[in-house]
Amino acid sequence: MLEVLNQEPFRFLLTFGALIFLVLNLAAVLTLAERKVSAYIQLRYGPNRVGPRGLLQPAADVIKLFTKENIPLNRADRWVFLLAPAFMFLPAVAVWLVIPFSQNAVVADLNIGVLFFVAITSIGALGVIMAGYGSRSSYSLLGALRGAAQMISYEVPLILSLLGVVMLTGSLALSDVVNAQGGGFWNWYIWPQLPMFLIFFISGIAEVKRIPFDLPEGESEIVGGFMIEYSGMTWALIQASEFAMMAVVSAVTATLFLGGWQPPLPFLDLGAFNWLWFAIKTTLLLFVFQWIRWSIPRFRMDQLMDLGWKVLIPLTLIWIFVTALWMLIF
Amino acid sequence: MLEEKRKTVTERLASPDIRDEFGLETMDMNMGPQHPAMHGLLRLILELDGETIVRCDPIMGYLHRCQEKIAENRMYPAVIPLTDRLDYFANMHNEHGYCLAVEDLLDVEIPPRAEYIRVLMCELMRIASHIPSIGFLLLELGAFTPILYAFRERERIQDIFEAVTGARMMFHYIRIGGVKADLPPEIPEKIWNYIEGLERRIQPDFIDLIEGNEIFISRTRGVGKMTPEQAVELGLTGPPLRCTGVDFDVRRDYPYSVYPELEFDVITDDAGDVEASYRVRIREVWQSIRIIKQCLEKMPEGEVMADLGRRLRPPEGEGFGRVEGPRGEFAVHVVSDGSDVPYRVHYRDPSFVNMQLLQEIVPGHYLPDIMPIMGLIDPVSGGWDK
Repeated sequence: MLEVLNQEPFRFLLTFGALIFLVLNLAAVLTLAERKVSAYIQLRYGPNRVGPRGLLQPAADVIKLFTKENIPLNRADRWVFLLAPAFMFLPAVAVWLVIPFSQNAVVADLNIGVLFFVAITSIGALGVIMAGYGSRSSYSLLGALRGAAQMISYEVPLILSLLGVVMLTGSLALSDVVNAQGGGFWNWYIWPQLPMFLIFFISGIAEVKRIPFDLPEGESEIVGGFMIEYSGMTWALIQASEFAMMAVVSAVTATLFLGGWQPPLPFLDLGAFNWLWFAIKTTLLLFVFQWIRWSIPRFRMDQLMDLGWKVLIPLTLIWIFVTALWMLIF
Repeated sequence: MLEEKRKTVTERLASPDIRDEFGLETMDMNMGPQHPAMHGLLRLILELDGETIVRCDPIMGYLHRCQEKIAENRMYPAVIPLTDRLDYFANMHNEHGYCLAVEDLLDVEIPPRAEYIRVLMCELMRIASHIPSIGFLLLELGAFTPILYAFRERERIQDIFEAVTGARMMFHYIRIGGVKADLPPEIPEKIWNYIEGLERRIQPDFIDLIEGNEIFISRTRGVGKMTPEQAVELGLTGPPLRCTGVDFDVRRDYPYSVYPELEFDVITDDAGDVEASYRVRIREVWQSIRIIKQCLEKMPEGEVMADLGRRLRPPEGEGFGRVEGPRGEFAVHVVSDGSDVPYRVHYRDPSFVNMQLLQEIVPGHYLPDIMPIMGLIDPVSGGWDK
């Protein structure tokens, strides 16, 4: 029996099923974390009625959303409308395939892992455009146009900021990137690549469409933008994919710049439990995401474009040049 | 620059040839009345060229309650609870304005202690309106947290109001001839403690966090820019007028109650944009704190209600009262025909008048700029619809 499960179609289905399970649970936990973090930032308690200290709130949310009616739109482009959430959710799951959780715990150690991440996350933009176009509502359309412009513009600095790490490692495989950062926190790429780290994180926030870059949603002007017409589980899937994407960006940032599963000091090596370090780093980055989300206002579209094209891209180009020079000299 | 852009956009769209040649189209968009970020029940019909607004038509009336007509069928004192329901963020000012108008008609002398209590309550109300309005401005810019800090302050002021008047919003406290009741004995100290605490909190909790924020500055500086001439032509009052540099405040220029005896500055700013209106508001809070402290120090002992008899029958004629509300000048015109009900009551509400700048100022801005501009006006739907 076990041998059968280890064979190719089953092995793939099992791992992918496990990943979907992981990502959905992660998204659920993140919704609770988001509420609690925002509550403590805002002098409130947050959910504390369902379960001990509100811990069962995500379960209650899921039951609520499952029992909600999924209102079909007469004028919507039905298939485009219904498929859009899936197009947003799948990339958030697929990226986990190449992320090394621990020494040997990586589903597919692709030798082009970085490229895979970049390619797969771009599919998310397609989902946004489909959602906005399929809904046939002026708010949705504006949200989709903004989303497309934003995600495509911010993909450029996102990719360019990865190049520094790739140049230093000499490999596109994420496991090589992590291995190159071993030996202590002073070997992490965050130090030589600090500007790239910041740019990658900023572009990551823009890629996930969170404040200060949540213009495709922009609930105070276009009321949710591309997701305005969704309800019930389709809406929940869009939300889940947003939270999952947040986790993906945090995990990739931790892998590329914070040493992945590498312990911060050599004697803290936990052996098989090194995935704990990876989890801690990802969680800290997720907290930073939420911290930013609840602290600052959002940009306007033109300012967002200015920041992307006039500030971030030139900075990454300069830093790629500096990295190349540094490698040439030393 | 904005002027030029506005001009080019309108010219481009006005010319039918260009429209046909390039297939340029504008999109009509309906914003409200059920829009989560709209102040109350306002509906805007927008014509968009991409995300640039070409035309903006505000449509009001979704909260119309015939306040002025109902007032014609009520005895004079019974109109006061109705005025509470006008601008529900400035209830005390509404009551004060109406009472001033009727007192003008009756020509009565108000006990000095009552005057001080009125001013004290109005200034507390101003703080309870200005701080949340700053919170709303940031909420509309996408920052959710400030509103909860703002409401913390408002809650505490409402607690004081509850102790004094018995209600948290609909007070019915300022009466014709004075106020309903004297302050409870422990209240002056409570107000003093609160004001001292607010004075300490306002710098770290609001000014430091908001004014240095790059995103806040880039979203508000130069947005909703207007000249002093424009502001005067549109009949604006309150912070939207003062943020353009026009030095006008009813409290100082047409003094009423005990304001001539109190020291305060009229805050103005030159920029005339959303950021300036924010600065005017937050600095007016300091002035309100100053006035409240002076009121508490100078307040004489004595009666709080003039003896007007049981049934009010003002002589035939007209009465007029104007106060400086948090949003601008609130004025009441009462016409009496000698009976115990007013012949006509008219309210001049600043929310309604200030709303005019939407049509003038908004075209040429981007769609997301509507929200900060609404924060500049800070209208309250109970006020504009009456």
